[in-house]
Amino acid sequence: MKDKRRLTIALAGNANVGKSVIFNQLTGLNQVVGNWPGKTVERAEGTLYFQGYTINVIDLPGIYSLSTYSMEEIVSRDYIAVEKPDVIINIVDSSALERNLYFTLQLLELEAPIIIDLNQVDFAAKKGMRIDAEKLSKALGIPVVPTVAITGTGIKDLLAEVICVAEEKTKLSPLKVRYGQEIESRLKELESGVRKKLPKLCETYPSRWIAIKLLERDPDVLNRVLAQKQGTEVAASADTLAGEIESIHGEPSSVVMASERYRVANTLAKDVISIVSPPQITLEEKLDAVTAHKVFGYPILVAVMATMFTTIFVGGSFLVGGLEHLFEGILIPAVAKILSGVLPRILVDLINRGVITGIAAGVTIALPYIIPFYIFLAILEDSGYLPRAAFLMDNLMHKIGLHGKAFIPMILGFGCRVPACIGCRIMETERERFLAGFVVTLIPCAAVTVVILGLVGRYVGLHIALALYVFDLILVFALGRLAFKALPGEPVGLLMEMPPYRKPFPKNVLMKTWNRTKDFVYIAFPLIIVGSLVLETLRLTGLIWPLAESTSPVITGWLGLPAVCAIPLFFGILRKELTLILLSELIALNTLTATQMIVFSLVTMIYVPCVATIAALIREYRWKKALFITVFDILLALLLGGIAFRLLSI
Amino acid sequence: MPNSDKSYEIVLCMLEIMKTKEAEGKQARVADIADELKRPVDDIEKAVETASKEGWIQRNEDALKLTDKGRLEVKKHREYYIHQKYAHYPGFLGNIGKFFEGKIKDWRGHWHRRHGFNSTALNGFYRNLEDFKGRIEDATPLANLGEGEKGVVAFAMGGYGLIRRLAEMGLTPGVEVTVIRCGLFRGPVEVEVRGVSLALGHGVASKVFVRPSRVKTNEG
Repeated sequence: MKDKRRLTIALAGNANVGKSVIFNQLTGLNQVVGNWPGKTVERAEGTLYFQGYTINVIDLPGIYSLSTYSMEEIVSRDYIAVEKPDVIINIVDSSALERNLYFTLQLLELEAPIIIDLNQVDFAAKKGMRIDAEKLSKALGIPVVPTVAITGTGIKDLLAEVICVAEEKTKLSPLKVRYGQEIESRLKELESGVRKKLPKLCETYPSRWIAIKLLERDPDVLNRVLAQKQGTEVAASADTLAGEIESIHGEPSSVVMASERYRVANTLAKDVISIVSPPQITLEEKLDAVTAHKVFGYPILVAVMATMFTTIFVGGSFLVGGLEHLFEGILIPAVAKILSGVLPRILVDLINRGVITGIAAGVTIALPYIIPFYIFLAILEDSGYLPRAAFLMDNLMHKIGLHGKAFIPMILGFGCRVPACIGCRIMETERERFLAGFVVTLIPCAAVTVVILGLVGRYVGLHIALALYVFDLILVFALGRLAFKALPGEPVGLLMEMPPYRKPFPKNVLMKTWNRTKDFVYIAFPLIIVGSLVLETLRLTGLIWPLAESTSPVITGWLGLPAVCAIPLFFGILRKELTLILLSELIALNTLTATQMIVFSLVTMIYVPCVATIAALIREYRWKKALFITVFDILLALLLGGIAFRLLSI
Repeated sequence: MPNSDKSYEIVLCMLEIMKTKEAEGKQARVADIADELKRPVDDIEKAVETASKEGWIQRNEDALKLTDKGRLEVKKHREYYIHQKYAHYPGFLGNIGKFFEGKIKDWRGHWHRRHGFNSTALNGFYRNLEDFKGRIEDATPLANLGEGEKGVVAFAMGGYGLIRRLAEMGLTPGVEVTVIRCGLFRGPVEVEVRGVSLALGHGVASKVFVRPSRVKTNEG
């Protein structure tokens, strides 16, 4: 039996409608962000208390339709149909009503209890539109609550309405989308077949919905139908009926149905929108005209990126100093003092150099670099700049078989490769995702930049450091192009919404930063700590020396580096800037020749993406592809390092 | 194509107009065609003569009728046109392509192998060509529109997945789009459709065919 005082509600809607703002307004800090089981789709969940109810809120991914174009869409519709949340809040962007209602109509077809949150009514007003919420509510037969998420206006009303629907005080009589006669008659025929022959499937999904999806030739539903006893018969008749619709209209049946839904959405939108004043040319629009301009857009893009990274590096290195002092000067001696009374010295060393140093390594990268980076990123995201950057970079990205959207994970890669790998989710197909992941692991991340600047930049010259950087970018481009040619399959073109500019909402920015940082900590920290423990054990047992020596043919023979360099390179797997720190502890840096420094930096830059990245790769691509990328990167680093050594020694 | 001189062009235009009239259930007459093409009746008479000789049309007094062979010719013309102008690289490279085009025997096979059309997509594409109203030259890829220009979506060519995705984002046949901006060097195109801005990569925008809305210049 269901607990009377507990409710589960789901937030559904298009991307860029302020869904996450509503979610944050509803749940505040009580939220958990993770993945849908077995899927690389983010799942955010939170709780709130209202009128004596404990309400569990699920934030469904932002999608445009409930077909099977992407994993997000399948996850969303399965959640709605199978888990049957008590109420679904459909968040609708008032300023783009027609497109949003297209999604609403599909939700209605799933026959779930829906409330419409008419969000961003202030933005619509700016565009000179007024929306008659009552009229819309009457037309759709479901409650409509206007809100302005950023200021929190209307959120209470929204919740009150949720309770009314859950307690069945508000009766829903949702609109049934009527298609054209030629489709309706076939739908009816198919639906009766579905009801008769697929009783089991009808327990989960509405029969009309199954019929609609079958007519649209939805592959996911088709598979489910085929798995049923009499599924083949139904599927065969659906195929014939869909074929008939296609021959009447001369378009794929799904396009015919989409057009029909848009026709309904268009009529609905026209009915409820009244233009009250001419749209003002807002500051946002002017900003859009400049920042996405085909010429001026590029210098602005460079300036934005430069500002972001300079701020992060300057601010970051300042913080790193303080944190290192905190750990090495205060924490480690303190731990040593406390523990040495209880434990043998060797264990104390293990804990100190393994665990504490591991945590220190994580913290000194996370706090100074990752968090500021995430803050910048959230601001860029929430303001709507990233799609513009993607638009500007689309052409270049096509050269490596990706499209503009891939620029977003690539920017992330300059900060840290872990979020970059996760960021590759925005790519549409498996092929694109892998290609983006492959490219992203070669981008010089913050840690690599520290090594390049600290070694080559400081001792050899800034121009050489810059050259290394440029070389890496060329490498990224060349390898991306190679992989693009080598991988089978057609590249997918860019098709992306360009949301209007909006003022970022501080609370949202901080929540995003917080959730992402948590995610980073969960992936990276365990591995960094385990890794440090393993390496520390090797060091304490003395096993590391023979291990380092055994690599000397490669390190000394092939790369021309002092044999001792093997150790920092081992430790660099944990975290790349450790290579520099350890190297400076082992030998005086100025004893290295310029060539050796360049080779060392080059190898550090390319070889193994650090443990945390490998973990992220495994999570996103499964271990096989992760292993491929890792091994490939190691071999590439050795190859290039050797070549560089020989070329520079001439 | 047997020949490509001026008179053949008029013949084709005439055939396309007749095809459209046929689809609308209207009778095609020499005078109407002359009006529509803004050409003297004599030119049309000449074209009718050529077309009759080829067996593309039948003439009964003033009324003209397309034959099956004529319909096939229209289809072939539209296919050639789209292929030559938009399927491969437009411009200079397209002219090189023209040379090889004559050698293509198996068109379905070519679309399949070279352009990745599977049979459903190809059937849809042929159907789009068949149903197209007016002259195929009126259709142009979205990528060819300039900033600020408007057009009405006629059809999209390409795989099933792409067409559906376009439809879901609101780019369904019959909807009006306005180009907001184009990127440099065959860059992406940003359009406004149904009150929303969408960015389309150049490749995608080249697959969406629109009828450009004529800009009204003769005001007052």
